[in-house]
Amino acid sequence: MTALDNYVAPTSLEQAVVQLQELGEVTILAGGTDLMPQSHAGRVKFKRTLMNIRRIPELHGIVREGDEIRIGALTTITELMEHPLVREHLPLLVEAGDHFASAQIRNAGTVGGNICNASPAGDTLVPLMVLGAHVELASKPDDTLFRRSMPLPEFFVGPGKTRLAPAELLTAVRVPIPPKGFVARFHKFGTRPALDISAISIGVGGVLKNGVFTDVRVAFGAVAPTPVCGCAAQEVLEGKRLDAATIAAAAAAARDEVHPISDVRASAWYRKEMIHNMTKRILEDVSANH
Amino acid sequence: MPEAIQKDSLIGKRITKLDAPEKAGGKTRYIHDIDLPGQLHGKILRSTRIHALIKRIDTAAAKALPGVHAVITAADVPYQRPIGVAKDHFPLKTDRVRSLRDEIAAVAAETEAIAEAALKLIKVEYEDLPVLSDPNDSLKPGAPLIHPEPHGATAKHDHLKQAQGIAYLGKPDNIAMVFDYQQGDVAQGERESDVVLEHTFHLHYVTHCCMGVSGIIAEFDSSGNLLMNSNTQVPFLHKREFAEILNMDPARIRIIQPPIGGGFGSKLDIYPFEPITVFLAKATGRPVKLVFTREEEFLASPTRQPVILTLRSGCRKDGTLTFRTVSTLHDNGAYTSWGATTPFVMMQTISSLYRVPHCLYHTKAVYTNNPYAGSFRGYGNLQATFAVEQHMDMMAAAIGMDPLAFRLKNAQDPGEVTPQGMHFKSCGFKECLTTAAEASGFQAKFKANEADKAKPGRFKRGVGMASMLHVGGGAKIYPSDGCGTILKMDDFGSVTLITGASEIGQGSETVLAQLVCEELGVPLSAVRVINNDTEITPWDVGVHASRTTFIAGNSAIGAAKKARGKILDAAAKMAGLDAADLDLRAGHIVEAKSGTVVMTLAKLLRQLHFSDKAELVMTSFYYEPPSKHQDKHFKGDVSAAYAWATQVVEVEVDTDTGIVRLLKVTGAHDVGRILNRLGLEGQIEGGIVMGQGYALTEELMVENGVVRNPGFRDYKLVTAPEIPEMDVRFIETMDGEGPQGAKGVGEAPAICIAAATANAIHNATGVRIMALPFTPEKVYRALHAARKEAA
Ligand SMILES: Cc1cc2nc3c(=O)[nH]c(=O)nc-3n(C[C@H](O)[C@H](O)[C@H](O)COP(=O)(O)OP(=O)(O)OC[C@H]3O[C@@H](n4cnc5c(N)ncnc54)[C@H](O)[C@@H]3O)c2cc1C
Repeated sequence: MTALDNYVAPTSLEQAVVQLQELGEVTILAGGTDLMPQSHAGRVKFKRTLMNIRRIPELHGIVREGDEIRIGALTTITELMEHPLVREHLPLLVEAGDHFASAQIRNAGTVGGNICNASPAGDTLVPLMVLGAHVELASKPDDTLFRRSMPLPEFFVGPGKTRLAPAELLTAVRVPIPPKGFVARFHKFGTRPALDISAISIGVGGVLKNGVFTDVRVAFGAVAPTPVCGCAAQEVLEGKRLDAATIAAAAAAARDEVHPISDVRASAWYRKEMIHNMTKRILEDVSANH
Repeated sequence: MPEAIQKDSLIGKRITKLDAPEKAGGKTRYIHDIDLPGQLHGKILRSTRIHALIKRIDTAAAKALPGVHAVITAADVPYQRPIGVAKDHFPLKTDRVRSLRDEIAAVAAETEAIAEAALKLIKVEYEDLPVLSDPNDSLKPGAPLIHPEPHGATAKHDHLKQAQGIAYLGKPDNIAMVFDYQQGDVAQGERESDVVLEHTFHLHYVTHCCMGVSGIIAEFDSSGNLLMNSNTQVPFLHKREFAEILNMDPARIRIIQPPIGGGFGSKLDIYPFEPITVFLAKATGRPVKLVFTREEEFLASPTRQPVILTLRSGCRKDGTLTFRTVSTLHDNGAYTSWGATTPFVMMQTISSLYRVPHCLYHTKAVYTNNPYAGSFRGYGNLQATFAVEQHMDMMAAAIGMDPLAFRLKNAQDPGEVTPQGMHFKSCGFKECLTTAAEASGFQAKFKANEADKAKPGRFKRGVGMASMLHVGGGAKIYPSDGCGTILKMDDFGSVTLITGASEIGQGSETVLAQLVCEELGVPLSAVRVINNDTEITPWDVGVHASRTTFIAGNSAIGAAKKARGKILDAAAKMAGLDAADLDLRAGHIVEAKSGTVVMTLAKLLRQLHFSDKAELVMTSFYYEPPSKHQDKHFKGDVSAAYAWATQVVEVEVDTDTGIVRLLKVTGAHDVGRILNRLGLEGQIEGGIVMGQGYALTEELMVENGVVRNPGFRDYKLVTAPEIPEMDVRFIETMDGEGPQGAKGVGEAPAICIAAATANAIHNATGVRIMALPFTPEKVYRALHAARKEAA
């Protein structure tokens, strides 16, 4: 643990971004479930100021805004799983939450923290990519509040690295409400059923109409420095029927397009095998149930 | 006062552990919760190199840090002496480090944070030496020596060479310990065999993962007496050993054990942090507390012994076993602790679980720069059973015999004295085999799975069995395997049981109290157990080897019987009856036949106390089991009783991922007699889960001397959803020597799971894996290789 010089707990977004701008060296604390273990292990050093953002109302809550659902950065994984809007329109996120850590961690860990921590194994990232989510960022470089938004895949630069500017706060993630006929699956592959970090994860989504799969999105977690698009598999699937040949071709494309590393959780070879086998399994499941 | 009381017994009932309310209520004060006035916090600087000479240590900046009271290195404690089973280990390293956990310096400071900061200010210069991380390399000619002679390389330690019996002089090779054992003539056995198999099994590193990490608080009083609050499992042995290490009079050392948050064998040896904390207490004149971080616990507490084991065995066509030849390579790590002695227990499984006329057994523990192994529940038996029980299945298959029938044919019977000299006075092995097989439907499932295994389908079911033999009546390893008890009664009919036996969460307090209740006819609530202070409790060898219920239980019964005799004699005299016709029930003296109450126990005790010949009821008893030391050829009857078990494991293998799910474990355990059914169930279920972790998920990944997963994120303990359904049956063989007929079973339940799981995976998939753990990737690789070979 690092000794702190300064602790702030702003109570509005306005106040937070002003402080971020003025104090410069700030570590942001949401649920702390990534930050605290990382700090204890000496992998992260607290900057001069620790900012607790949990008292900022604008960062809480899930609402529908037009064709989008806005999920506040401080939404906990539990809140995400229990919210009626999410359950109705974005069941994929409920599925992801179900395999996320343990009840205690789900009660503390936030969606914003999961995104900003930018682990390639972060379990909301792949589903959010499949759903076409955008992140919403805010800062106050001068006198006016500046907001910008960007597609989630663009936000990630590498493990723990994002395009978040030094004085910027992630305020929310926006997810378009999927069209009729949209089906999606998320599969987290770990070596045990609970409290595990993904060895790999796969998300597949698209519109299935008259047996034809369109607007397909495939994403993979834990096979690259960031969560990545399964673009080759996506291309194989686009506009096709989910027959055995297509599924086999998509699974093979998925295996060939990822370049994972070997670490304590799995070897690169095994990760590629699992990408293949699980992609196949997910697609077979989609095909059989629709 | 009731008129009459009928006989009642607590034996076999489900009784909540006496310490359960405190623990469940979060009120138990573990060592972490204890803070003494004036206490300082100790921290240890460990090596950053795996194998290196220490060229220079600069502690000046650390010493200058405000709040730091002492910074010590080996140079500050020239009186330190080597510790451990082979006395090859200085608490603070002198001239070199031999593994990443090695202790270089230690700090005592006002807070943990200051101590931590001070460690960062210590500068160490090293000169790297070649690293040995594979035990095979340690044996190669010209391999670098881990403990070159003379130890320490400098004249500074010359005094050690003279110090009697503890001088450590280094080793001319990297061999730390060997065990050789022989019975019969294996060449003859091989000639008589129709089938001979030989395979090599690889057993990995796992560690205890006690919820309570290692810790100690040491303080000297003004007269120079040392008091240690310690988590040790062997307080009386430690008292003696600390005296030796510290060059102190043992009478000046007192050890108090606060409630211990798990032992499992990890606290049987003295580890460097303990004398180091004492050095710090000495240097500062203040109490010093040192408690490991979880990461430190992974890096610097002992492991289970990793083993490479080659087994050659044979049988005849009719299913009779003929011989076994075993050679092992134990990775000793950098220093010698109890892990090196696990061959002693492995040998018993190899020679005596089944009837085998001819056995030859060679083991070598060799030094490497890896972490070192200690003792761990099962003590080598998991490793031996893994190999032996897989070979049993493979031999059965080779001669076309059913695995159950093959085992029954070779299983031991009561009365047997094995060639190694173990005498099985009570033995429910065959009943364990048939009970577990019948309860699980083993034979039908085994055949059905066998037939299904070639059919298409992602999920494959398998069933496998394994059995075990383990000491259940103590283990005569030291000159004595005994335990003392002092029992006192007060004027109100309450009993204080003062026992040498340590409680490490296993429930011994409860069982001992129950045994006393049985003799004295008092309710459980009338018994208090005192068991954690060497100044008060009588001697006991320690909590290990599944011995406490058996040994301390017999000792407690002995003391209680004496008290009972005194009470009944006095009551008989007072009431003008015959003592033989009286009994003690529910706090009363009664006539045994009718149950008619004569008087309350409390009243009798008071009358005894406040009479002319005033007397308090106090007794003591010392129990030493009738076991024997083995001779120098490792022959002899080391335990007063032996425990048996068969476990049947059912798995589902996902051939797409290699994930093995344990669906069900059916166990049949020869426990002698059930004392506390609830405690026994807890012990067996917990042991099964520990065995499951060993089989499937747990692995301390050691690569080139570095532990790669020192935390619970990547060291995978079994989580609740993975725990299988369990059907545990108890076989009561009523051991003649056991307390109320019971035998020790603390280690038994963890021993078979890995072996049975290996057999179940084979039954499901046709693939046999001889290395642990069965992680999804390992299983998937094996399945993949088999598929490739078939194609
Ligand atoms: C035992 C355990 C199990 C876990 N299991 C899983 C799992 O299964 N799957 C998984 O994906 N993760 C898991 N995690 C990781 C962690 O819980 C999640 O990533 C969680 O979502 C992080 O959210 P948080 O609010 O706790 O983030 P914090 O720790 O508070 O913050 C994480 C990072 O994001 C920054 N940050 C947070 N919010 C903002 C914001 N609004 N704007 C800008 N920067 C911000 C912080 O500065 C920090 O760098 C686990 C962690 C633990 C301890």
